[in-house]
Amino acid sequence: MTFRLSGFRSFPELWKNNKKVCLGLCSGNSHLSLFLLDGYGIRNQQRWFSFTTVSPQNSKALNLLNGKTRYRGKEDERNNKQVSSDSHLFAAGAAKKRSQMNPQSKDHISPPVRNTVQLPTKPLNSEEWDKLKEDFKGKANFENWISSQITHGHSSIDVAKSLLAWVAAKNNGIVSYDLLVKYLYLCVFHKQTSEIIDVYEIMKARYRRLEPGGYTLLIQGLIHSDRWREALLLLEDIKKVMIPSKKNYNDCIQGALFHQDVNTAWTLYQELLGHDLIPMLATLKAFFDFGKNIKDDQYTKKLLDILLYLRNNQLYPGESFAHSIKTWFESIPGEQWKGQFTTVQKSGQCLGCGKTLESIYLSPEEYELLKENVMSNVIDGGDQYKKTTPEELKRFQNFVKYCPPFDIVIDGLNVAKMFPKARESQVLLDVVSQLARQNLRLLVLGRKHMLRQCSRWKKDEMEKVQKQASCFFADNISEDDPFLLYATLHSGNHCKFITKDLMRDHKACLPDAKTQRLFFKWQQGHQLAIINRFLGSKITFQHILSYDTVVQTTGDSWHIPYDEDLVERSSYEVPNKWLCLHRKM
Amino acid sequence: MLVFLKMSVSFTFLRPFARFLVPFNLHRKRRDLYSTVLQRYMSSKTPAVSCPDKERTSSEQLELDGWKITMKSSVVTQEGVSAVSSSKDEDSLAATRELIEMWRLLGREVPEHISDEDLKTIMESASKSSKRKYLKYLYVKEKMKKAKQIKKEMKAAAKEGAEKTKLLETTEEDKQQNFLFLRLWNRNMDNAMGWKGAQAMQFGQPLVFDMAYENYMQPKELQNTVSQLLESEGSNRRNVDPFHIYFCNLKKDGGYYGELVKRYGEKWDKLLLTATEKSHVDLFPKDSVIYLTADSPNVMTTFKHDKIYIIGSFVDKNMQPGISLANAKRLKLATERLPLDKYLQWETGSKNLTLDQMMRILLCLKNTGNWEEALKFVPRRKHAGCMEISQYSQEFVNQLKKSKTFNPFPKGSLNVRTKKW
Repeated sequence: MTFRLSGFRSFPELWKNNKKVCLGLCSGNSHLSLFLLDGYGIRNQQRWFSFTTVSPQNSKALNLLNGKTRYRGKEDERNNKQVSSDSHLFAAGAAKKRSQMNPQSKDHISPPVRNTVQLPTKPLNSEEWDKLKEDFKGKANFENWISSQITHGHSSIDVAKSLLAWVAAKNNGIVSYDLLVKYLYLCVFHKQTSEIIDVYEIMKARYRRLEPGGYTLLIQGLIHSDRWREALLLLEDIKKVMIPSKKNYNDCIQGALFHQDVNTAWTLYQELLGHDLIPMLATLKAFFDFGKNIKDDQYTKKLLDILLYLRNNQLYPGESFAHSIKTWFESIPGEQWKGQFTTVQKSGQCLGCGKTLESIYLSPEEYELLKENVMSNVIDGGDQYKKTTPEELKRFQNFVKYCPPFDIVIDGLNVAKMFPKARESQVLLDVVSQLARQNLRLLVLGRKHMLRQCSRWKKDEMEKVQKQASCFFADNISEDDPFLLYATLHSGNHCKFITKDLMRDHKACLPDAKTQRLFFKWQQGHQLAIINRFLGSKITFQHILSYDTVVQTTGDSWHIPYDEDLVERSSYEVPNKWLCLHRKM
Repeated sequence: MLVFLKMSVSFTFLRPFARFLVPFNLHRKRRDLYSTVLQRYMSSKTPAVSCPDKERTSSEQLELDGWKITMKSSVVTQEGVSAVSSSKDEDSLAATRELIEMWRLLGREVPEHISDEDLKTIMESASKSSKRKYLKYLYVKEKMKKAKQIKKEMKAAAKEGAEKTKLLETTEEDKQQNFLFLRLWNRNMDNAMGWKGAQAMQFGQPLVFDMAYENYMQPKELQNTVSQLLESEGSNRRNVDPFHIYFCNLKKDGGYYGELVKRYGEKWDKLLLTATEKSHVDLFPKDSVIYLTADSPNVMTTFKHDKIYIIGSFVDKNMQPGISLANAKRLKLATERLPLDKYLQWETGSKNLTLDQMMRILLCLKNTGNWEEALKFVPRRKHAGCMEISQYSQEFVNQLKKSKTFNPFPKGSLNVRTKKW
């Protein structure tokens, strides 16, 4: 519905731009295709209209698009249902849901469909190509333009071949490199192995060295042929100028596994890790898929190593990968693994086997490491004047030292600004007094301007806050979040903090990925976010996860979180579906 | 489960299927046949144009694969050339050069000619994206240079043509005319600016460029900074009432100094400004110094003629917010920022302005004191226009001025009041 409307809106504009073309289109069919074009690819106008003939393809495409939008609608519904209201702050898809609650961000633009250009469907002879070239009026070189259209539209190889034949006939039998690469792409796309080998021969003969794009395509094409070993040579060629991409390694490993050469595959995998590349999940999945047919302890051990790699780098397999893992475990002879897809209860118990998952709390060493890192990188950061001043830091450290540990640290400004219509000091007082009634030791962090009497900050209410909680007010130009983090970390493992802030900027200050992961784990376990949408009701918090979402094992059981195919997960969210594997006793 | 099944099927079935589609042996044979045909072509040196009508009727495949043979065979002539070069250099330098050449064939944005130093920079750059960025930079540079060259040639040609016609026209009228001045305008202007500059050195209001940010910048940013410094010095020189410019914290052995001397050449020692290794806090009393930084919480309301303004000469492309504010905090200096939000409807871009824009704004403020006029130097793309509210308050101030003939309040405090009403 929406795309049709938008089509109407831009219709007059179109009329202006392409008078000639619109006169040419008069059948009912062509009108339909016009709408279709507007909604999806305004950018493509010029291109599409340069072909004046109208083919039945368009109406087909329209139907296809209709189907697509319908499908998309269904998917949205499903997503909404899946992310139920009790999902926690860091659950997969939660960010998307939050953004959907914002009415402004509703009208997302659908991606343009490139398929509206009418391409030749069967091979043309040179006169026909010549004629087509005359019809084409664009800025770009016709050969380049048409060949990229052909590759984008995934036309049949014969069409591309006839184009190349035409070009070669014009240029004394020479086809330029970019056309060859595009043709190669098409061959790889259609998996025409013999054609790929032909192009490979041509390239080898004509050019001494290719560029990574060409190599990548050749590798991708060759691994399924008998000459797959030459793909490894191509990989060596890439290495001479730059580090191959993880996709190159993925292709080579897949090729090696496909031809039963396990040792090569593992060597390549080690090399990949050696370059500090993060392997594609498809690579890891291939090892598991291949493992089903192999009964070898060495291989089993290596697969378990992969699982530990996932654990250490906080990677989560996709849905199909999870299926592969399950199948592989179940195929191990004599061990009788049983796998099932489940979720985990709030208490941290797996619904499948009832086991409790690993706790979210950091180990004492990890905790110390994180505390030091937050102090030296987030607050200090090489220049204490950036976020605070040395005097203030001293004042704060003394303050924290002489106070007994807190139970809850509150980000005063974040909490107070929660309801835009209510007065800030009142909201803060409300939250503080509700928590104080539970006999919790509170710390409120804020800035000095909160103490100045004005319409938004009432002095008497702030005094009441100060009676019920300890307070620390930083300078107006200092940042308060680092203090919040440090106060919480200093108070110990039981201490939580209240803010809606996701703290991504502070996480980014940490030196390496490992510490950032520690921070994230700690944050999941200690951050309370208020989810009340109205003032006055009893405050409720987003529940805190008690378990860590990471690949984990107890020897005779494995718990592996995985990403569902249809849920979009932001980088600071964790999946909520699990693969539970245990041995039958 | 379903997805998985599909995957495995396609993997295992693909190969035999592909083979089946294109009979391999047949293909080989045909190729042999073609190469003989081709040799004939080559010997006669005629282009391999196939006759479409005939072949189309006989077989489609024949026409479609024709180009391959010519492609493979045309190597015969080429191979001699490539074989020579391949024998001597196998090092990665040559490989990189070839890679760039291949990228150029693909239509990527890479330079056509590349010097050995640039090639080394590319090889030493850590990541692929940095390589790509540097190549694009070189590409754009090369393109600009070429365009300039072409323009220059065209201009020269046009000039030559014009002179020729002029010569033809004005050969006879070679008589004397009466002029008051000789044509020495540029030199006169330089002299006048020099006098004004000397005057500013003696009595002008100081304006400090703080050069303490060398360590926060990449070489490229440093070059940009120096360009901006040059530009600001130029616009100061041309002004009616120039500032007395100070370059503070300018280390003699630093990158700044080297770059400045390189750009100014021998003019550097004759510049009418004060360059010093000392800090601005050593030269001026602390309470008369105001550090200008976009991160400051305080808004500048008026230009004060008895204060010394400091501008950090720092181009920050690395997103390191709050460095100049931290510096001012460390030295306990007053800070201010321009009232951009008050006078302009800001749209995009950072509030950090370039050094020359800052210079022009300050000069304008110094001479007129008019914010609207001064903020015209803020790039037009960054804001949608001036705020009406400030115009209104400006009128209000003017009215007050008229009625009282004397305005006891500074402009800023009045603005605040009008807003509250």
